[in-house]
Formats: sequence, C-alpha cells, structure tokens
Amino acid sequence: MQSSKSVQAVTPPRELSRLAALLRYEILDTPDESDFDDFTQLAAYICETPIALISLVDDHRQWFKSRLGLDVSETPRELSFCTHTIEGQGIFEVSDAQLDRRFNSNPLVTGDPHIRFYAGAPLTSPDGYNLGTLCVIDREPRQLSEAQRGALARLSRQIMRLFEERLQAHRFADQAAMQQALLNSAASAMLVTTADGRVTGVNPTAERLFGYPEKMLVGERLTDALFPQDALFRRASILSNELEEPIEPGFAVLTAPLLDGRREMREWRLLNRNGDAVPVLLNVSTIHDENEQLHGYIVSAYDLAHQEHLQLRLQQIAAQVPGMLFQFCWRPNGQSSFPYLSEGVEDIYGLSAAEMEPTIAPIYERIHSADRVQVLTSIRHAASTLTPWQLEHRIEHPRKGLIWVEARATPMRQSDGSVLWHGLVTDVTERKAEQFELDKQQEMNRRLLEALSEAVVACDAEGNLTLFNNAARSWHGLDAHQISPERWAEYYRLFQADGVTPMRMEEVPLMRALRGEHIRNLEMTIVMNGTPRYVLANADPMYASNGQQNGAVAILRDITERKQIEVLQRDFVSTVSHELRTPLTSITASLGLICGRVMGDVPVHLQELLDIAHENSKRLSTLIDDLLDIDKLYAGKMRFELQTQPLRPLLEQALRSNQGYAESYSVSIELDACPEVSINVDAMRLDQVMSNLLSNAAKYSPTGETIRVYAEKVGLQKVRVNVCDKGPGITEAFREGIFNKFAQADSSDTRKQGGTGLGLAISKELIEHMDGEIGFDSTPGAGACFWFELPCSARVETSS
Amino acid sequence: MSELKRILHVEDDPSIQAVVKVSLEAIGGYQVQTCSSGRQALDEVEAFAPQFVLLDVMMPGMGGPETLTKLSERIDLAKVPVVFMTAKVQPSEIEHLRRLGAREVIVKPFDPMRLAGQIQAIWDAGGL
Repeated sequence: MQSSKSVQAVTPPRELSRLAALLRYEILDTPDESDFDDFTQLAAYICETPIALISLVDDHRQWFKSRLGLDVSETPRELSFCTHTIEGQGIFEVSDAQLDRRFNSNPLVTGDPHIRFYAGAPLTSPDGYNLGTLCVIDREPRQLSEAQRGALARLSRQIMRLFEERLQAHRFADQAAMQQALLNSAASAMLVTTADGRVTGVNPTAERLFGYPEKMLVGERLTDALFPQDALFRRASILSNELEEPIEPGFAVLTAPLLDGRREMREWRLLNRNGDAVPVLLNVSTIHDENEQLHGYIVSAYDLAHQEHLQLRLQQIAAQVPGMLFQFCWRPNGQSSFPYLSEGVEDIYGLSAAEMEPTIAPIYERIHSADRVQVLTSIRHAASTLTPWQLEHRIEHPRKGLIWVEARATPMRQSDGSVLWHGLVTDVTERKAEQFELDKQQEMNRRLLEALSEAVVACDAEGNLTLFNNAARSWHGLDAHQISPERWAEYYRLFQADGVTPMRMEEVPLMRALRGEHIRNLEMTIVMNGTPRYVLANADPMYASNGQQNGAVAILRDITERKQIEVLQRDFVSTVSHELRTPLTSITASLGLICGRVMGDVPVHLQELLDIAHENSKRLSTLIDDLLDIDKLYAGKMRFELQTQPLRPLLEQALRSNQGYAESYSVSIELDACPEVSINVDAMRLDQVMSNLLSNAAKYSPTGETIRVYAEKVGLQKVRVNVCDKGPGITEAFREGIFNKFAQADSSDTRKQGGTGLGLAISKELIEHMDGEIGFDSTPGAGACFWFELPCSARVETSS
Repeated sequence: MSELKRILHVEDDPSIQAVVKVSLEAIGGYQVQTCSSGRQALDEVEAFAPQFVLLDVMMPGMGGPETLTKLSERIDLAKVPVVFMTAKVQPSEIEHLRRLGAREVIVKPFDPMRLAGQIQAIWDAGGL
C-alpha cells in the first residue's frame, strides 16, 4: 500500500560525528572544481544516464559538488534519495521510483526533475562515515549492470581520495602560507634549505641582512654564498675531532651535530653581499615532511651586529667609569654569578672577567678577612629589605696591595625569586688617605688650640658660639653656650679696659668682627670673682671658601702682667724723671745764681768755667726733657689735649716765648701774614714745635738778621706755617736724615753749637701726632725755611 | 696790697731748698722759711704766718696736694697764695692742681734769676 507522503528517512545514530567528518573536508558550498566534474561525466557515461551528481548530505540538505544534467545546487534533505544511500552500505538502487512507496510521492519524482531511476554509491570517509554520494539518475526506469555498479563504486572511492588530497593540499597550502607569513615577519633572518643545503627561500630580514634579493640566493649552496671559507675549514676540523669522523667544510658543518641529536646554535661571522662581516647567532633546525622524512633545514640568523654595537658602547662607557660596574645575580638556591662585569674588575680585584666563572669565590677571597662578615651581613640585609647597599671595605689587591673600596648596589627582585643587583665599586684608597690626613690635621689643630695660652672664641654667622678653647673656658669660667649675643658681655663677664665699665653688645670684639670689622689690640677686661684679667683682643670675620662670611673668631691675649709692668714702668719713669730732674734743677739753679752775680762778683779766671758749667747743665736738663718726650711719643704714651683754636694767637705766643732766646743770638723774629683759621692742636705741644724751629733758626741765623714767620693756606683745608732763616741752609748730605734723632746739619760749627739733636725728631713726632706734616725747603748758602702743615678750619674762638 | 715779706717754702730736696732760699732772699729780698716736709709745714705754718707758700708736689710721705688740703684748714687760701712747683706737666694736671686750691703752678726747672719776679707777679695779681 503506498501512502501519500514519503516515508521520512530515519536519522542515523552517528549523525553528529558524520557531520563533523563532512565538515572536516571543507568542501560544502565551495565552487565547482573540474576534477569532480570529470567524475560526474565519467559516471554518467558509464551508466548511460542523463544525470550524475556528487552530493554531500549535511544536517538539512543535500548539496551538489558537481552536477551533470541538473541545474540545481541543493535540495532539502527530506526529499533526497542520497540520504537513503548514506544510511546504508554499498550501492542503493531504485529501479522505478514511481513504484517505490518510499519515493512515489516525492516532489522530485512527481515533478521536476521527474526521477524514475536512481543509483547511488556512498562516499565513505576513511573513518567510515558516509558523507554523501556519487549518484546517477534517469527519467526512465532501468537497472544497472554489474559492471556499472562496480564502476560506480570505484568512482566513488576515487572521489573520496580526491576529497582527501584536496584537503591535504589545502592544509599544506595553509601551513605554507602561515609559515611564509611567519618568516616574513620574523625579526631574525630566516633561510630555508633543502636537505643538502641549497637555499629554497629566505625572508625579507635575511635579504636585508645579507644584502641579497631572495631570487639570487635560491638554488645556491648556503655555505658557499654566505660563509667565509676559513671559518668553515676551522669549524670542520674541530667537528671532525669531536665527532671522530671527517666532516667536509660545507653544509655538513651545520648539520652534522644535528644528526647526533645536538643543538646547533653558534656565533658566526658571515659575509654579506659587499663582503663585509655580519656577526650572527646561527640556529639550524630540521624540517620533516608528513612522513617524518628530512625535508630540509631552517636556518635562523640573529643579527649580533647591533648587540655587538651595544656591548661595545657599554664597554666604552664603562671604561670611563673609575672602578667596576657590575650586574650581580643572586639565586634562591644560593648560587650567584655576574652577568656583567666591566673591565674595572682588574682595577678593583685584580681579576679578569673570565676568572669570575663559575663561582664568585675569587671575589670573596679578595675581601679583607676582617671585613668579610660585615660585607655579607650588609648585603643580605639589603637583599631582604630590597634597599640600596653601600659599604666601604678593604680589598687585598694582588698588584696594589691593601686598598679601600666603596661598593654600592641596588637590588631588584626578579620573578623567579632571584635578586638582581646593579652596582659600582670604586677604589677610594686615596680619598681615605686624604680623609685620614684631614682627620689628623684637625686633631692637631684641636690640640694646638688647646695648647695656646691665648683664648680662642669663635661663633657662626648667626652668632651661635661654636668654639671655646681651654684658655677661653678657664678665663670665662664657662664653656660655649647657646647664649644670644646681647647677653655675651653679662654672661662671660666682659668689661672695658678700665675693668669697671661693662661692655655693651656692640663693643664686644667678637660681635664687631661678626659685623665685618677687623679688630686689633683692643684692650678689655674679664672680671672673675672681682679680679680683673686684662686682655688684648684681636678679632676677625671668618669666610667660607665661596667668600661668604660664615662667622667670626676672637683671640684674647692676657696682658695683666704686662699691664702691671707698665704701671711699674710708668711709676719708674716718673720716678726716674723726677730723680733726674731734681738734682739737675739744683745744679742749674745754683750755677744760675752764681753766674747771675747774686752771690757777689765772680773772679774772672773762674767766669768762663762757670759759664761752661751753667750752659751745659741747662743743656743736660733740656736733653733729659727731650729724651723723656721722645720716649713718651714713641711709646704712644704722650697724651695730647687737642682743642680747636685760632692759629694766630698761638703763633704770637710762640714768638713772645722765644723772643729772649733770639735776642741772645742777636736776631729778631717777625710774624708776617697769618690767615684767620683754627687748628686742632695741643697748644703746649705746638708751642714746643715752634720753640724748636725758632731756636734752630736763631742758632743758625747770621747776627743781625731777622727770622721770618708766616702762615699760608694750602688748598681748602690745610694751613702751612713757615719759619725761615738766612743761615747757611741744609746741604745735600744732611737732607735725608735731618728729622732723625741726633742729626745736626753742621757739627763743625762750634760757635753756634747747642741743642740736643733731638729737637726736629720730636717736632716731627708731635706734628704727625696732630695729623700734620713737617718739612723744609733750603738752598745751601741761601738759608732754610722749615714748615709744618696742619688741617685747619674756619677760625673758631676758644672758650677759655 | 701789702708788701710781700714772708714766704714759706715746702721742699724735701736740700739742694733745691738752698737754691730757692738764695734766689728769693738775695734777689727778691724776701724772708724764706724752709720746711722739709708737709708735716713740718703744718706744724710751723701758724707760728710763721706766711704771706705766700711755695709748695713742692713730689714729696715723700705727705705729697704736695695733701699738704695743700691740710694747709687750707689753717690758712685762708684767698689771702695766702699757695703755689706749686713741679716738673713739666700737662695743662690738665695744672688744671687739676689749681682746682685743689693752688693759685698758680710754677714749672721746674725754674730759672733762679726770675723766680723772685714770678712770685712777686703772682702776689701783685691778687686773690681769685
């Protein structure tokens, strides 16, 4: 009984696997291929049918890879005859579809293409899945002969083979394409060779590296094209020894080690097209085909030129660094090594880089035994805390002896747990020696300071007291403390020279020096327990090497003893002067009375002798006065009572005082011009100068002559007083030393003898002490004009 | 102004004593009483009743200034000039001696020929 609809084909149990197998061939929905069309042609011819198809059945349709006599490319699966074919084994034949209740209502039977006869052979995959069919279809009912059936089956097997081949070819092509893509993008140069070493392909990097376009290399022997012959020969002989068989200096040099199961990775200096050396790291690996047969080799060449360049650069830079640059690796298993050591390793350890492998024991041994523990401990600590390490320690250098080095390194933890250090070790022996010298110097300075009998006190730029030596501490009774300058005088008991008046802050020598003054011989006292210590202070600002003031220093010298001596001396001098003068006064006075005939007439024969005695005693008296004066002047002990007063009255007084003296020489004195100015002088001392000049003038003037005294302004602020005589003048020989002690212009002139020889020396001192200048003008034979200049101002009357 | 007759001379050095005495008596015609120390002067001043006192500054024991101070208790300095005799001094020291009460300061070494004249001049110049 035939039903109206077709009986649905039962879905086979292994359907998913079958579909997967189908998909594996990557054939669905691909374009027509002539190879398959040949089969459908052949099938149609052998079976004498108008229609032949290669159909593939997936989950919802049958799709035709090749079709003859039919225009459609696919039909739904439930209508397909091939479904039945694939469910079974072997050929599925339907002589007359109209009579077969499975198909008689099938649209493909009832309608286009009006199938009456169907015969299909399954296309069976190697793993046993029926993927589709090779089928023949006729519109007439018929049957196949045995031969035709056999042919159909054979053809179907061939189609399967074709599927396989096609697939392999595609796979192969894909792989090749991928390889090529890899090769092209590789940073390394890659060259592919045949098993006997002829180049089959190179990548762009290789082209660039060696300077050859690919086509120039293809077909060439790799070792002929790129390898220097001498290197090949050398390697060949080495290999021959190692492998104990002769190795030809050719491609075998690269491949022989591989045959032994070894890696072949080696540095070579190959040649580029220009003949220049190309340093590379060469890696040779085998290529096997699908049958595990040796297909060829792939040679990769890693360009070392850049690396060499980098290494050279590093070496050159490292050579500039004094000391040893290093990279040190410390592994968790306790092993350590130096991935990098600069040439300075010789300078520091007396070793070469080669001696450092495989352990670092040589370095460890060079460290001074006393320092080893510290070195290790500090490194471990730095490693565990990942902090920078720095340590000075000693090394026993084979050539340099015992040296000091400063080592520093920074640790970085690596992902494998090891610690990588980067560091520098420098020889600091010299610096250490200098430091030692400096320390010694400083120690010596400190000792010197302490040994000084002077007190030394210093402060910094802010006025903080920084230094007190022993003497300072003992004199002040206290050490340097953080006392502000306002309180220095009070705290350290500073008084003025009188020992009674406290010093004000701005008077303290250290403070003044801090303000930039240079103090010399300032008298002051330190009063401890009521006892004054007289000191002389010198103070100076202190400067840093950049010129900035960074403090001040004061040095105090104890002059208490000297002061006491001075007091004694003063007393002594005044005592002596009194003791000298008193008897002299008596002598002079007595002789004066006698010569003045107060005691009666003097016998003639005694007169001259008595006159001589009288004159000389007067002279002696003057000499003592002069000596005491000059002593006081030179010692700076003469006190000047300066007062600004008019000049003219002073000159007039001087003339009056010396009139008598001049008359005794029968010369007169005249006061000529005198400007109306005032001078700042000690009147008594000025009078002394005038007396000296006038008495000299009187002594040397010819009898009857006049001594001229006149004053004139010099510029705006000075006045010059001149005392001029008409005597013999000053000869050239005496000009130089005329103001020196005991120089008399003409000691042969006995008539005019007199004077102590100190007068001009004293006058010079006196005038200069009053801020003036003294001098003379003279033409020998035409007299002399002694002058002095003093600062003057407009006439001011003295209040007396 | 009465005539100057009696001068008291206080000086420890014998030579100076002699010379001054000769100078004042022979040239000035005065009557000179000599005392060798300030102490002696104080003892004799009231008895001698001098019209003028010549006083040395540097004396052992009681010096000139002290003697003056003590003398001023016994004599009226306004009526009886006291004049110091001393070696060269600074004007300030002269000032100082004047302030003590001395009428004048005569500087040593003195001229024996002129001493009498100086004394007379001071006497004639009168008080204050």
